Amino acid sequence: MSVRPLRAAVIGAGRMGMIHGHLLQVHPDTELVGFVDPDTTLASHLASQGLRVPLHPSVEALYAAAEPEAVFVCTPTHTHLAVVRECLRRPVHLFVEKPLAATLADAEAIVRLATEAGVMHAAGYVYAHLPIVQRAQELLAAGALGEVVRFTAHAYVSEVFGAKQGWFFQKEQAGGGVVANMGSHLLFILGWFFGPIRRVVATVRSHFSQVDDSAQALLTFASGVTGLLDTSWSMPGSQMLDYGLTIDGRNGTLVLGRERILLHLLSPTGAYDAGWSEIHASELPADAAFDVSPHIGGESFYRQLTTFVDACRTGRLPFCSLAEALNTQRMIAAIYASAAAGTPVDA
Amino acid sequence: MELVLELRPPESRHYPSWRDRLTAVARLRQPDRLHALCEEAYVRGTRAILAIVDEPIREALLAFQRWRDAAVWAVVPNMFAFIRDLTDLGMVGAARARFLRLAPADMLRQGAAALGRLQRVLRKDFATGGLLVADMELAGLRALRVTRLFLHPQLTEVALAGGVRELFTGFAARAERLGLEAGLVTNNPLRAAALLGADLARFAAVVAPCNPSGYKMFPSRPACEALFRTDPGRFLAADPTAGGRVALSAALDYVRGLGLPGVVLDPALVTESFAAPVRPAAADGDGAQG
Repeated sequence: MSVRPLRAAVIGAGRMGMIHGHLLQVHPDTELVGFVDPDTTLASHLASQGLRVPLHPSVEALYAAAEPEAVFVCTPTHTHLAVVRECLRRPVHLFVEKPLAATLADAEAIVRLATEAGVMHAAGYVYAHLPIVQRAQELLAAGALGEVVRFTAHAYVSEVFGAKQGWFFQKEQAGGGVVANMGSHLLFILGWFFGPIRRVVATVRSHFSQVDDSAQALLTFASGVTGLLDTSWSMPGSQMLDYGLTIDGRNGTLVLGRERILLHLLSPTGAYDAGWSEIHASELPADAAFDVSPHIGGESFYRQLTTFVDACRTGRLPFCSLAEALNTQRMIAAIYASAAAGTPVDA
Repeated sequence: MELVLELRPPESRHYPSWRDRLTAVARLRQPDRLHALCEEAYVRGTRAILAIVDEPIREALLAFQRWRDAAVWAVVPNMFAFIRDLTDLGMVGAARARFLRLAPADMLRQGAAALGRLQRVLRKDFATGGLLVADMELAGLRALRVTRLFLHPQLTEVALAGGVRELFTGFAARAERLGLEAGLVTNNPLRAAALLGADLARFAAVVAPCNPSGYKMFPSRPACEALFRTDPGRFLAADPTAGGRVALSAALDYVRGLGLPGVVLDPALVTESFAAPVRPAAADGDGAQG
């Protein structure tokens, strides 16, 4: 028996909104039923990209014209809470682009609203959907490293080398700079791997823009894992987000990169012998029918959507739920609070 | 088998580590080193360079083509640079910045062309905008011997997702008017074939992932192989070694087995191949070493 595609709308016709719109059109289990953006002159631009669905000026107008089962919130970050509140006047499943909100209070309110509405929800931390990242999580969850002790991580990109304009570089609207926007991808993965954050010591610096362009954070998780994150969007050498994560446990070390895992085990675990092993992304199933962005998120965008659709169909919250993203938001808030106070901050 | 070297800004590739990245970027930002890489590739039998052309690459290719009879297959527009400008300047500002970099004669030519499409430009028409930006970059490539023109994969994938046929047909028409062959670089060759139908024949070459691991072959290796077999002369293999996990010799055997006429090699593969001992060229002219 075939299942009817999930009817979904996109709120916000910016870059991320358009990417999600395309995926909703391409994915066999979804149907794009509309866009919402106050700038309705964008309708012809959307149509010219093949996004030939009505563009409504408001969520209310969308709901009057269509009955989406899910909405994708892709508006500027500071508007997420208001948009979510408006969307949840009906019980629709929620996908919210990262970061969840510009403030921790807004993020908590979003999660509370979604929980009270009893809908499925997910956040757009797309790199967590890369097969190689998911394999690293499986290895950790299976105890391959034994008790995890520490980690070091980096997330760099070459993007900000001068003054910047637009909402993305206004702290009140974007929620911050590199920590909230690029670094949060890795913060989400760290939270997924190590659990709730407990304490943070951090510094942030603005080199070029009005927001933080680089940051270093010493993170302590409730699980006892501690580690250092170094992030910057003012590092020359990488047009895409370059991340790396080295995790040490009592039974070995796991080094996670964009396309491979290097695993060093002191004693054999599962399928892996003692000593060095390499797991390459090419050995892992991609489970994707379309690659919307080969050089950036790659197949992870498609896999992210599949995960969300599965949650909506099964009624089981995904690993990338808004509640999990709230842990990320706590890290973001604690990093900024610690940097401002010059002291450690409990998250 | 035709061997093609792929050049693009080294910052746009993935590397095993940050240190590897910086080493590669520092090396491949230098026109002299890029020129040397082209020479290494030439010695291995490469006679075409598939390139997203920025200034260091342009300088290297100019020097290379002074000495060697090798073609440039230009990939336009450079979407990474354009997207970066989009964040700062918006759509119109990013296009304007490119326009202002043109030579005065090209400004006049491009300006006149844009005026003719003013309504569509003002409506932010995707295909019109993409083609205009491509045109502006093409103006800067005139000194190079370009024989094929490829649409940048970032534009290609978005247009494939949206089913924007006019971007592809418009691009092919441009290439034809310039006396060039058109090409595509895509990770979604099945969708390209389904969307373009008979118009796929207007693209002399479609570069798509093809390797024994099925890496990046969407939606699946069998589906891609079936497509390649229907029209093997049209497809060139990208990422033949699946990110370095398959030996080059095995990768070439696999591509040859599918009947594909060529393979695209990234700089790391060429450097690795150059470090191996040279053997006499095989009868089919395949000079690559596994």
